[in-house]
Amino acid sequence: MRRRLAVWHLLGPSLLVVAVAAVGTTTSPTIQFQVRSVLVTAAIVVSLYVFVGNSGVISFGHVSFVAVGAFAAGIASAPAEVKPSTFPKMLPFLANLEIGNVESLLLAALVGAIYAFWVGIPLMRLSGLSAGIATFAVLIITHNVIRNWEAIGPGAKTLALVPPTTGFLQATVGLLIVMAIAYGYQRSRWGRRLRATREDPLAAQASGIEVHRERLIAFTLSGALAGFAGGLFVHLLGSITTEQVFLDLTFVTLAMLVVGGIGSMWGALIGALFIAGLNAFLVELEKGVVLGARELDLPSGTRLLTLGVIMFVVLVTRPEGLTGGRELSWPIRRRRRV
Amino acid sequence: MRKRSRLTLLIGVFALVVAACGGAETAETTTTTSATTTTTKATTTTTGGETTAPAEAEPILIGATIDLTSFMSPFDAPASLAAQILIDEINAAGGAAGRPLAFEAIDTQVDAEQYKAGAIEHIQNGASILWVTCDVDFSTPAIQEGLNAGILTVAPCIGTDQMGPKRFGEAGRIAFSFGNMAQDEGAAMAEFAIDQGWMRAAIARDNLIVYFQNVVDAFKVRYEELGGEIVLEENWTNGDGTIGNVATSLANADIDVVAFSTGFDDLPGLVTGVRSLGSEVPMICSWACDGAFWVPEGLNEFYYVTYASVFGDDPSAEINDLIAKMEAAGSKPTTGGFVGGADAVKVLAAAIDATGGTDAQALADFLENMTDFPGVAGPISLSAENHTVFGRPYRVIKITDGKHAVVDVRSATSPADIG
Repeated sequence: MRRRLAVWHLLGPSLLVVAVAAVGTTTSPTIQFQVRSVLVTAAIVVSLYVFVGNSGVISFGHVSFVAVGAFAAGIASAPAEVKPSTFPKMLPFLANLEIGNVESLLLAALVGAIYAFWVGIPLMRLSGLSAGIATFAVLIITHNVIRNWEAIGPGAKTLALVPPTTGFLQATVGLLIVMAIAYGYQRSRWGRRLRATREDPLAAQASGIEVHRERLIAFTLSGALAGFAGGLFVHLLGSITTEQVFLDLTFVTLAMLVVGGIGSMWGALIGALFIAGLNAFLVELEKGVVLGARELDLPSGTRLLTLGVIMFVVLVTRPEGLTGGRELSWPIRRRRRV
Repeated sequence: MRKRSRLTLLIGVFALVVAACGGAETAETTTTTSATTTTTKATTTTTGGETTAPAEAEPILIGATIDLTSFMSPFDAPASLAAQILIDEINAAGGAAGRPLAFEAIDTQVDAEQYKAGAIEHIQNGASILWVTCDVDFSTPAIQEGLNAGILTVAPCIGTDQMGPKRFGEAGRIAFSFGNMAQDEGAAMAEFAIDQGWMRAAIARDNLIVYFQNVVDAFKVRYEELGGEIVLEENWTNGDGTIGNVATSLANADIDVVAFSTGFDDLPGLVTGVRSLGSEVPMICSWACDGAFWVPEGLNEFYYVTYASVFGDDPSAEINDLIAKMEAAGSKPTTGGFVGGADAVKVLAAAIDATGGTDAQALADFLENMTDFPGVAGPISLSAENHTVFGRPYRVIKITDGKHAVVDVRSATSPADIG
């Protein structure tokens, strides 16, 4: 039963993802784009969960890894013939670099992992509020470096002409890969050790667990997945600016994780699908939609307000998140023996 | 009970996503017969109900993905309204190539994903021309959709030279902007400064957006070409908290003029900072400083160049008439930026008439060879090298004791070469 349940914890969420994607493919091109966006956002949130959910340490800096992944994949795959003239200050080897889609996604993951490992060495010695503030500092520093160092990026300009290759297949498979790695990690000995440090750091240390090392492993893996998701993100839009991978995305993805339930991958997925799906639905409502004989029409600009109110209500009524921080339970109830 | 609630949750989330995936059908777009009914609703269409264009002719749809409710709306909304007024007039006169023009807008709220989604929707609805927000960086996701679909993609007031091949490579040949090119605007500012005998200048470069940077760079290039001396250069990024230092440095410099381009909170911060330190040095700015909404009380010796004066003293009767119509429509413009929207429609109608249709490459041929086209504020030009308007006669407006008055109308001799 345990093994079956373990399979179900990954299979159930995966079936939901496939179902959402399958329904999405039957819709109009505009809605198809919105659904692909939901899937990519979910990949970012699951990558965030790998560290935050398993370690219990809040990170405000994970969008830094999304950013470096997105810019690495975008710069590496944008046409080499345009970059030297559009970005004259860019390092020649970057300006002349042009690689394919899959290679750019792997590069994004690699860059995200290396960067997370590097900043994680000092940061993972911190806990609680100090860790949160330090990761936020990483976000600010990363943003400023990418925005102002024109040798390695487009600076204040938008990086354009990135091949928009994140179609349904890539968005779905990409999310499933991120989920599989996230779930595999949380079931592994490293994942269990990290969760032990989350529950009681002193007891974990007394049992021989090195908190710093376990957190660093999770931070690096999480950075790799965030970088990969950043690659999917830039290939979804076909362009990227530093503002798109900064504060808004940080707080929205954290809110998704909290709303879904911070302690499980299922929670991360549900939070992402719920908030991002709701957001897409409200966008359509603002345009005006016909439901049966009635037309529903939200005033322009009320989307964010509505989202905020709904998130507030969810957090007040379900402080542990929609899933209570638990994995998806087995759908068939077993009869208890008396 | 707990399991049942989790199952309900699963079903709920799935239902929500399915609903978002198109369980609802988008309402038909609102069609208005007059620009006076224009609102900031997500979707409005103007087809000129009283048009003399053949009723059976299929409208040429201009699909706009613009901001109507967020921080770009002060730029996008007036340009969009002016465009719709011009469309009404053109439709009343027979349309373009015998077909009425239709303008349909989707409110993006400056969300990158909604720019892309909006562009996809317009293209799906058969738009022949895509119309985007007045900033190339915000608009890029939409612009790329337009270019990939092979339809002419225009912006009413992007102020850099990036709306074209310089940013989008060969595909950018069908992208144009009807804003003033920063290289042209900065050159006009420099030429005005030299004419005033201001030979020693300080420049303050806000690195927030490319437009601000390019205006100041163009000022510097043209100013030095004409024999002026830049004695001080200050750099900052809007919102970085250093505006007080910049103001102090400018106020203490031995200079004849300060040239800059900025906006948002740092615009009043910079101007008030310089004046509060006792400096009455003339300051000259670009279109970014247009409007009365930011001006501190009693401001003097402040100049800016813009498309048109919205203070009732513009020398063009056509401009004043357009402002009156916009006011009658319930939205008096607060800056001259609406001119780009009107000019865009005027040029597009002429291009469609000349080419007989909406083929993007043919329209691009027309636009790349457009010299001194009679825009609403004066002659405007585009070229194969410059896909953003240059040569427009700028209104130089001086603020004295907080009041705005046109003191000069001038075009730059040529855009400055800033590399």
